[in-house]
Amino acid sequence: MSLAATTEAPSKNSPGPAGHPSFLKNAWRVIAKKPGRLLGLAIIVLFTLMAIFGPYLYPRQLPINPNAIYAPISWHYPLGTDFEGTSNLALIVTGARYVLFAAAMAAVFTVVFGTALGLISGYYLGWPDSVIMRVTDFILTIPGFPLLVVLSTIWNFGQPMAMGFVLGITGWGGLARAVRSQTLSLRERGFIEAARTLGLSPFHILFKEILPNVGSYIAMNLLLAVTGSIYAEVGLFFLGVVPFQVNNWGVMLNLAVFSAGAMSSTQALPYLLSPLLALLILTLGVVLFLDAVDEMFNPRLKEA
Amino acid sequence: MSAEWPLKANTKAVGITIRDLEVVYSTGQGQVPAVNGVDLDIAGGQITGIIGESGSGKSTLAMAIMNAVPHPGRIVKGSVVVDGVGNMLTLDKESQRRARGRNLGFVFQAAQNSLNPLTRVGHQVLDLGRSHNVKDLRGLLRRAKELLHRMGMDADRVLTAYQHELSGGMRQRVGIMFALVLDAQVVILDEPTTALDMLSQASVLEIVRSIHEERDITTILITHDMGVVADLADRVVVMYGGELAEEGETAEVLAHPAHPYTKGLIQAIPRISGDLSQAVALSGSPPDLKTFMQSGCLFYDRCPERVAECQVKRPPYESAGPERKVACFRVMPHD
Amino acid sequence: MKNILVRLAKRIFAGIIMVLVMASFTFFLVRMMPGNPVSAKYNELIMRGMTPVQAMDEVRVMYGFIPHQPLWQQYLHYLVQILHLNLGTSISYEGVPVLHIILDAAPWTIILVTTGLIASFIVGVLAGVIAAVKRSSPTGNAITLSGSIMHGIPQFVMGLFLAYVFTTLWAILPFGAPYNAALTPGFNGPFISSLVRHAILPVATYALSSYGGWLLTMKSSVITVLGDDFILASEVRGIKAKTRVRYIAHNAILPLFTIFALSIGFMFGGSLFIEDIFDYPGLGNLLLHAIDARDYPLMSGAFLLITVAVIVANIFADFLYSVVDPRIRR
Repeated sequence: MSLAATTEAPSKNSPGPAGHPSFLKNAWRVIAKKPGRLLGLAIIVLFTLMAIFGPYLYPRQLPINPNAIYAPISWHYPLGTDFEGTSNLALIVTGARYVLFAAAMAAVFTVVFGTALGLISGYYLGWPDSVIMRVTDFILTIPGFPLLVVLSTIWNFGQPMAMGFVLGITGWGGLARAVRSQTLSLRERGFIEAARTLGLSPFHILFKEILPNVGSYIAMNLLLAVTGSIYAEVGLFFLGVVPFQVNNWGVMLNLAVFSAGAMSSTQALPYLLSPLLALLILTLGVVLFLDAVDEMFNPRLKEA
Repeated sequence: MSAEWPLKANTKAVGITIRDLEVVYSTGQGQVPAVNGVDLDIAGGQITGIIGESGSGKSTLAMAIMNAVPHPGRIVKGSVVVDGVGNMLTLDKESQRRARGRNLGFVFQAAQNSLNPLTRVGHQVLDLGRSHNVKDLRGLLRRAKELLHRMGMDADRVLTAYQHELSGGMRQRVGIMFALVLDAQVVILDEPTTALDMLSQASVLEIVRSIHEERDITTILITHDMGVVADLADRVVVMYGGELAEEGETAEVLAHPAHPYTKGLIQAIPRISGDLSQAVALSGSPPDLKTFMQSGCLFYDRCPERVAECQVKRPPYESAGPERKVACFRVMPHD
Repeated sequence: MKNILVRLAKRIFAGIIMVLVMASFTFFLVRMMPGNPVSAKYNELIMRGMTPVQAMDEVRVMYGFIPHQPLWQQYLHYLVQILHLNLGTSISYEGVPVLHIILDAAPWTIILVTTGLIASFIVGVLAGVIAAVKRSSPTGNAITLSGSIMHGIPQFVMGLFLAYVFTTLWAILPFGAPYNAALTPGFNGPFISSLVRHAILPVATYALSSYGGWLLTMKSSVITVLGDDFILASEVRGIKAKTRVRYIAHNAILPLFTIFALSIGFMFGGSLFIEDIFDYPGLGNLLLHAIDARDYPLMSGAFLLITVAVIVANIFADFLYSVVDPRIRR
């Protein structure tokens, strides 16, 4: 008990989680607290490595094997094979790059748009606020996924960057609103008022004073945007509205369900289950890790 | 004043006897004793002021009398016997619920929203009546109107209003109406004037005083404002760090404070000492977790009159004259 | 009441603007397409041997505007047509007005979405209340965990999973098509029971994948309300437990209305997956078919109707909200 009291005391004066020198240390302490969080982190790291190095592990053109079409799970094919006899594991590993890179880009775009617009709207109020909030309401109301489907008819989603950008510009609404309301409540507090009276530039106030205080929202939203984007892009490929020019888990799902008839024949089942398994494990990792992020950035939880 | 009070303590007035009451709060850093071994007799028919700094345990004591200490607080031991009701801490749940509202009225601090924001005030009066099996709901509403009117409000408008349509002072008077509408014999007011502007403060206090006199009820007034106590209370009880420091008739205590903390409280208020330049702020900080663990007097660190004994053990809370109790070694060195 | 109506009128106005913006968006979208489908169709008709006048008439009927006019004129023409509810004619269903096709498809989607939404709302909110009240017990934790998991699983994964388990593993429910084609549609027992049996899985997919969201939101909302002063006050006034539960539920459910409105858009988005997986003839399926067949008038129309449905549902949710929350009525 006294140990807890002594470790808590110095952090009381620290400005906030971000920018604190022992942030990484603190983050590790929070993560290591529960095995579930460690598992979550391990899963995320594994998938990230897969996205970075996966394509180098296999030849550019994945080998096909006409003798091993829809091969069952074996040592040689840990997840079975597809309709051409290509290893499902290889498809998953090489497909991870597009999926994760696009999702990461989408999350970055979401956070950049959402944070910037939310900050501006909540800080300046007046007409910028009403314009931005109108647009935000609009973005939040239009059915996002059907819009993506329609956009896929003119947009080339072969590049993960393009996919990430579109996911970003359709998905920032919720974050912008949250950041705006946070900014509004921070405005009422003394230190922002003080900074303004001191004549500090709005740039300084927005990025040095307010931004660190909305860090928790942003961190949570970054991860949520990653999972949301993964679902959306895999979904687009699954529906088959995006040309299959790249290897992607969604393409696998689509082919498994609509071409291979995996729903009715057991032999193609591994082909269907492989991408599903990848998605579920990744989701599980993010959900488990979110718990840690929540505690890292949410001061109210920290004290209890 | 001393001639008056035995007259008031008639048969109808309800007294409260508190014995060895202990309430703890569980926090991340350990168990904080918010109310620690309190023995207190609240005389029927009087206004008793309970005064202390924030964190002194006075509000917790008030909630403990209702046996409604909110989480993470917990009543560890003791008894609270309300005349004609029984021990609030051992009664069965249903009898406790009936006693709350019916026998014991509670008025919250004005800053707290004690009304359901989604229901009109009148409906909430009816909910209260139904919860206490009032047969004549029409009569109940009439009484509510009378009370509101009595407090200078447009009763019909208030009963059809939602909480957000009322000002702070109005909400506070509505809170008093809720405490009185079932004819409770004991009314506990928790910081009734905090968060109100000066004018509303004065009118709320005036209402408390006149209703107290009209209805011959027992009133417990929790406050941190010595001025409020001086204006209104027959008796005053001073709390410090979850324990009682001093009690006695208000005039007596104000004229001859015995505990150094009480002296400090009185000196800190220019309104009473008269001269603004003489007002002295109480030095030091209120007790924290470490203070509670020390074996000596809780006030030791801040006390201008401390002696060696004070550091070693806690002074007992003992009688120091008629109707007077103090917990200080300096007051009764010969005991 | 007057304030509510003013608010409603404002929302309706904003909704109309929104629909027009989305209509304009699809107009320019079709024009931005590689190889502009409007001129392409026009040229194709000329090549088939039509005179320019005939071809222009044909294209005008199809898309609701004329290709060889300045863009702004085409745009105005298109908007006027939309206001007259003329969405052009379909290319893949040759000559059939788009409005007919989408109005045929709409009920399927709307029934799916509303049933799924209502079922998940009721179950999720009740489970959320239990999870909040018993939040420190194993039961509460288990309920919360079920919510987190359901919330985390993507809708199409849920759909595939349910389809696999209930139509392949245990073939107890039918797969594909909205009803048994051998039956005569109408108000007769076998047909209705077939209709219901075919709807179970799609509705369950909707319900299960949105149940978690309701549960988690309701839980945190209830916990917030439990900490409110007026709940303590009602306890101290000796208000009956039943009445206090009513107070808590009423206050806790309000924030869900905003989310309810937002999730409607999400649900219509999900209809694409669900209708695709279960081969259900709703708007989502229609949109996918239109994209597949490069049937742009149909695509624009289906997308526009989905947008309109979402906006109308939003206005409705907002209206309900202002009726139940007195603080809005000011």
